[in-house]
Parts: sequence; structure tokens; C-alpha cells
Amino acid sequence: MDPTALRTKLLSLLAGVAPDIEPGSVDPERALREQFDFDSMDALHFATAVSEAFGIEIAETEYPRLASLHAAEQLVQERLAARG
Amino acid sequence: MEVEFPLPSLGADMESATLTEWLKKPGDRIRRGEPLVTVETTKGLIDIESYEDAQVLEQLVQPGSKVAVGTVLARLEVTGAARAPQAPPAPQSAPAPPAAAGTAAPASVPARAETPGEGVTRHSRISPAARRRALELGLSLEQLGREAAGGIVHLEEVEKLAAAAPAAPTGARAAMRATIGAAMARAKREIPHYYLGHHADFGPARDWLTAHNAALAVKDRLIDAVLITKAVALAAARIEGFNGYFRNGRFEPSTAVHAGAAVAVRGGGLVAPALLDADRKDLATLMQDFSALVTRVRAGHLRSGEFTAATITITSLGADGVDALFPIINPPQVAIVGAGAIRDQAWVRDGQLLIRPVLTLALAADHRVTDGRSGARFLRAIADLLAQPDAL
Repeated sequence: MDPTALRTKLLSLLAGVAPDIEPGSVDPERALREQFDFDSMDALHFATAVSEAFGIEIAETEYPRLASLHAAEQLVQERLAARG
Repeated sequence: MEVEFPLPSLGADMESATLTEWLKKPGDRIRRGEPLVTVETTKGLIDIESYEDAQVLEQLVQPGSKVAVGTVLARLEVTGAARAPQAPPAPQSAPAPPAAAGTAAPASVPARAETPGEGVTRHSRISPAARRRALELGLSLEQLGREAAGGIVHLEEVEKLAAAAPAAPTGARAAMRATIGAAMARAKREIPHYYLGHHADFGPARDWLTAHNAALAVKDRLIDAVLITKAVALAAARIEGFNGYFRNGRFEPSTAVHAGAAVAVRGGGLVAPALLDADRKDLATLMQDFSALVTRVRAGHLRSGEFTAATITITSLGADGVDALFPIINPPQVAIVGAGAIRDQAWVRDGQLLIRPVLTLALAADHRVTDGRSGARFLRAIADLLAQPDAL
């Protein structure tokens, strides 16, 4: 998937989960937990949104792979590539 | 019967609120538990629900006005059977009882079904991102009110307003901090707290969760906090003295267990809205309620019922937290349970040294109601329930 389109999509998912953060302020490399005080419910909401938007399975053990925006991009690209 | 609809107190030390929006207009019918009006408090936007089936006769306060607790906001014609004579809560007395008998306090338990996300964006005239920025800039809703009259306020309008009116002396964030400070000062002044701590082996709960969640889609999975909340709620229902209110010099136990869930507000502060009937709901339902509650907190838009209903509170610092937290009771409640971060620790069982995920529970309770002995039973009951997750 086109990296720019993917980032835009993930940012919009993030905004849906956490409407109180400004998408423009997201540092893609920093952990969301550290950057925005994401708690376990925020993390679950984000995982749900990503899973549903791209139609991919995300196991509970893989939640750390959604820790930052950049990590999430890699996970989604990997899954989409594997699907072919 | 014609009745007045006053601004209720929505928690300890709330003195006033700014009316944001009428959700019903004169002539409209409203059902018990349906939101009538949205107000802005130091803890965000709150939909105030009607306590009667009624018809709206007249609105007495216009959007943008700041009014004191007890001020009559509207006149209603009650269409159903009237429940109780009208008596606005006195602003100077103890916080309005969430389940006041004999007064017409707004319904503490919404009659309608809770729909996740409902009401979050429908009435908000300020986008959540803009609201957060306004908080940072110290702009109040009153200042934004004029902008809101023309439609939805976005970040851009907030920045413009900030440029036009720099350095506001007191911001909404400072107001929230002041509200928390006032409630906690009152708690420390009036409530003789005692504190107990207990380590619980979270292994059985963790194993149960892993197995349970493996088969589920992400959206249906449970989180640690839901198991802990259910365990606390069940223990509170079984062991007397920790669930209810201390009012008018005596303990008033509650049969229903409404578990207040402390949720941090990004940028500072916290709120502890209630998960209603937490002891009676299955874990999936409790999870849905919790999820919807956090969504409403994030959007800064709660409901009056859930805002005042809690009969006991649970607070946690989450995965990044420290081992233990010793919380302060939220008056007029009589107990609060603090859950520390769950961490792998050395654990001795049957003479064997094991590595187990350990949860440190702390209880702060009111010595006017219970003593350490029953407090210890209560904490142990929570740990025992977590050791048998099938029973939750």
C-alpha cells in the first residue's frame, strides 16, 4: 500500500480513537503510550480500528507492534503483503 | 403536574456550570433518563438527564449562561406519574446524593439502554482536538460560546481566538485541577482514612484472559481492568461497609454496586464516572460499558447519571505505573481500591519460588464505617475472586 495513503489512514483511525489529540502532533517514532498517555483501553480501541479497517487479524501478543505509528505501518504493510 | 428542573450538583464541590445547549425545545416530550440539556463543568461536557417523563414548557436559561447549582433551568409538565416533590439541591450542602430518596434529583441511573459512542459527537459544537487546545491555552467555553453559535468550532477558530485574547488568567484545566483539589481536600479533612495493601497472584486471571481472548476478534477482547473491576464489585456486594455513602453522620449502604472507574484525562486531571451495576453484569457487557465510557471521556462528553452514580471507586495507573498506589476516597463514598501495575515478581507458594504476575491492591476506607479487620476481608475477597476467574 502507498505509504502516504497508509499514514493518512492510520492517523484518521487514531483521531477516531482519541479525538482529543491533534493528528498533526503525532511523532511516528514515539510510543503512543508515552506520547499521549495511551491506556490499555485506548490501545485496544486502536487495535480494533486497525484490524477492522484493513481486515487483518491482530493477536493479543502482537499489540506491542501497534505501540507507535511507525510500528503500526510496518505491521499493516507486512500483513497486506502476506495476503498478496 | 408542573415542575421545575434545577441544575443538579454533579459531584463534590461543584458550584456552577455553563449551559451549552438545549437538547429539547419547548413543546418537546422527554422520557425519563433522556438528556435534556448539556452543561459545561470543570470536568467537561455533561448531558443532564430528565428524571421524569415530561413535556418541556419553558427554557429559563440561555446557552452561554453560567449558573449556580440549584438554578431552575426549565419548567416541565410531568406526563407520567410524578415521583417526588420538587426540591432543588442546596448548593451549600454536601454534594447532591446520586440516589437521593425523596428529592427530585435527576435520574442517577439512565433508563434507556447505553449505546457505545452515542451522544459523543451529536451535540458537541467544539471538536475534541479544539477543546484540548482550548484547555492548553486556558480558554473557557464561555469565550468559545460566541464562536460556537455559528457552527462547530475547530482548531483554527481556537487558535484565532487565542491570538485575539492572549494569556487568559484561568483556564479550564486549572479549573479541573481546582475541582479535584477541593474534593480531595474535603476527603482528607472529613474522612478518617485507613489503608491496607495486599499482593495478589494475577497469574490465573492472566491465563484465563489469554485463553478467552485468543478466540475473539480484537473488538470483543477483554482487558485486565475489567476483571479487576468485576472482582472489586463482587467483593463490595458481598462484604458490607465498602459500598455506599457516608451522609448526614451515618453510613448509607447501597444495594446496587456502581463502580466508579477513574480515567485519566489527557493533559491532566481525571474523572471517575460509574459503570452501573458492575457486580451483576457479565464480563462482556461490562467491557462494552467500560469501552463506551472511556470513549465518552476522551470526547469530553459524559452523562449526569454516570457522573454521580458511583458507590465505590477503582483506580489504576496502568501498565506504566508503579507497584502500588494509595488513593484518596471520593466523598461521599466510603472506599476506593487502587490497583498497581501488574509485574512479574518472585512469589513463594508451597515452599516453591515461582515467577508470577503480581498485582498489588490497596484499599483506602472510611474508619467511621469499617475497621482494618473487615478491610482485610474485603481485599482478600478481591484477590480470591481474581484467583478464580471462572467465577467472575
